[in-house]
Amino acid sequence: MKQDFTLEIASDNNFSILNRIVNVLNRRRVRIKKLIAHENEDDFRKGGAVLLLHTTPDLMEKVKHQLEKLIEVEYAKYTNGSEQYLELSEKIVDID
Amino acid sequence: MDALLTKSEEKITPATKQKITGSEALLRCLVEEKVQHIFGYPGGAIMPIYDALYSYADKLTHLLVRHEQGAIHAAQGYARVSGKTGVVFATSGPGATNLVTGLADALIDSTPVVCITGQVFAHLLGTDAFQEIDVINTTLPVTKWNIQVTEAKDIAPAIAKAFYIAASGRPGPVLVDITKNAQNELIEEFEYQPCKAVRTYKPKPGLQSEQIIEAATLINNAKRPYILAGQGILLSGATKELIAFSEKTGIPVASTLLGLGAFPTNHPNYVGYLGMHGNYGPNINTNQCDVLIAVGMRFDDRVTGNVSKYANQARVIHIEIDKAEINKIIKAEVAVHADAKEALTELVKHCKPNRFTEWINSFKALNQEEFEKVVEKEIKNTNSLKMAEVVHMLSELTNGEAVVVTDVGQHQMVTSRYYKYKNPRTNITSGGAGTMGFALPAAMGAKVASPNQQVIAIIGDGGYQMTIQELGTIMQYKIPVKILVLNNNFLGMVRQWQQLFHGKRYSFTEMDNPDFVKIAEAYKIQADKVTEQVNLESALKRMLESPSSYFLEVVVEKEDNVFPMVPAGAGVAEIILEIPKAN
Repeated sequence: MKQDFTLEIASDNNFSILNRIVNVLNRRRVRIKKLIAHENEDDFRKGGAVLLLHTTPDLMEKVKHQLEKLIEVEYAKYTNGSEQYLELSEKIVDID
Repeated sequence: MDALLTKSEEKITPATKQKITGSEALLRCLVEEKVQHIFGYPGGAIMPIYDALYSYADKLTHLLVRHEQGAIHAAQGYARVSGKTGVVFATSGPGATNLVTGLADALIDSTPVVCITGQVFAHLLGTDAFQEIDVINTTLPVTKWNIQVTEAKDIAPAIAKAFYIAASGRPGPVLVDITKNAQNELIEEFEYQPCKAVRTYKPKPGLQSEQIIEAATLINNAKRPYILAGQGILLSGATKELIAFSEKTGIPVASTLLGLGAFPTNHPNYVGYLGMHGNYGPNINTNQCDVLIAVGMRFDDRVTGNVSKYANQARVIHIEIDKAEINKIIKAEVAVHADAKEALTELVKHCKPNRFTEWINSFKALNQEEFEKVVEKEIKNTNSLKMAEVVHMLSELTNGEAVVVTDVGQHQMVTSRYYKYKNPRTNITSGGAGTMGFALPAAMGAKVASPNQQVIAIIGDGGYQMTIQELGTIMQYKIPVKILVLNNNFLGMVRQWQQLFHGKRYSFTEMDNPDFVKIAEAYKIQADKVTEQVNLESALKRMLESPSSYFLEVVVEKEDNVFPMVPAGAGVAEIILEIPKAN
């Protein structure tokens, strides 16, 4: 059964990283409901993204490992539902 | 100004460091990485690098291919046979996009390759300049990593990182796109720092002892354990460890397509080749084993057939360096996220000595059934020339010790079945991507990497014509590779599927071919053609004995089929030995 997941990704911040992340999700046909990408305030060489995804638990787990396989991704972690997305995205917007 | 300085002033002036171009910096990086051979093709946006290369002929040997696809397949063959990273040069735009098939092939088959592409000047990026293509985004899904470099100072760190990433962990292709201004720009001489770590990248997982203990417990209690050996064994150099593990535990070993050579085919515990056209025993018994030990393999659909019917009775141990492969297709009860060599070295210590004679005999009985119904008819056929008898004879004549490079299709499956590989890194083929046109350039690269080994490309008439232009490279550099074309005037595997699953509607698979012998001779390559069985052995011997490059065309039966076969959508245990009656 498909459901919402909040995915948090920490990565290096370079020109292609967002494309790489989205490519993995597109290839698996995972629906992206919302997305915020950001660079870290204290170190512009690092960044990340927070995504609200709609997919199955099985595919979410598989996609997490495929994302972590990307060279620039430090970690990818997810939680069920959209609450965490709202919290994390508010934090990012506050920083900006 | 300098002329105006006094002697004393000259003494106190700090010594000026010699400046070099970005292009020369790149070449120095390659020398530092102990690169010996480069396969490439020049063009406008990479000309500064080629200009610098002119002065590096004593340190770097460049082979001018006839198409960039030839360059990357050659680099793949080079890497697969030697374990070293293959290196490719190509220009921007179409030069770079011609690499895409090879990059995809290298990615899925875990082959370490570093491609350097020239790019337009940085200020022209995104302007649709001549031969400007967004190479980074084009190659992003088919590379392990890629990077664009727009300043000369960034070339050395990018190259160091590229070589590290390409060869570490699960190997793969890396592309470094260098703008022309970065190639021309002058920088102060540098000291090359090889890359030893990348902050966000953990190529080699630490071995978890609890995973090993769990795996050993399952193995020690198993009644019908079964090892599936994949290319991970070859990549981690774990052949010795696999043999030791199998010999101590008595567990039978089957091989995937890319795993062929990882375990000697003449070993008593070897039970055959897995997959769609694999042996009968290994496929049937996949659904009979109680513990399945998959080492360095990724449960490709050509191995599993219909996943819902795959080894449902078995408790699965999956030893794999790439975490994303674990539980991707087949759920593992015990996942050992580790390098195959390290895992087997540790695992063998915790496993009890054992013997499974009856279990191994069950494979042999099934394989005997296959021998009687399929193999015997193929290799002892007296009516017409069959692919199987050609490969079987070649295997006998070379004692299973040649490096055999195959393309994609029927001849590839026949070679996997009938060539009896004895040594690691002697089976070079396009597995995951199934790239027709792979074999000729890959064989060329393999021979450059390993000049003392007999290297034979076995190719179908379709795939041969996809990269036939590389005969020019073979001619120019006198690369003594042997080319064996099995010609059935058909795209044979597609035709076989059309026969079996599309009511014999041979839609665009029959080919009118040119005179292959004349083509080879036009490239100054000695050539021969066999049309009758009686001439086969002597022709093969002449080819093998030739000290130079050699082309041999064998005209084989037109509508020959490869069996056994797991039909599309069927489970591995539903493997068939012959054409179903309805056909």
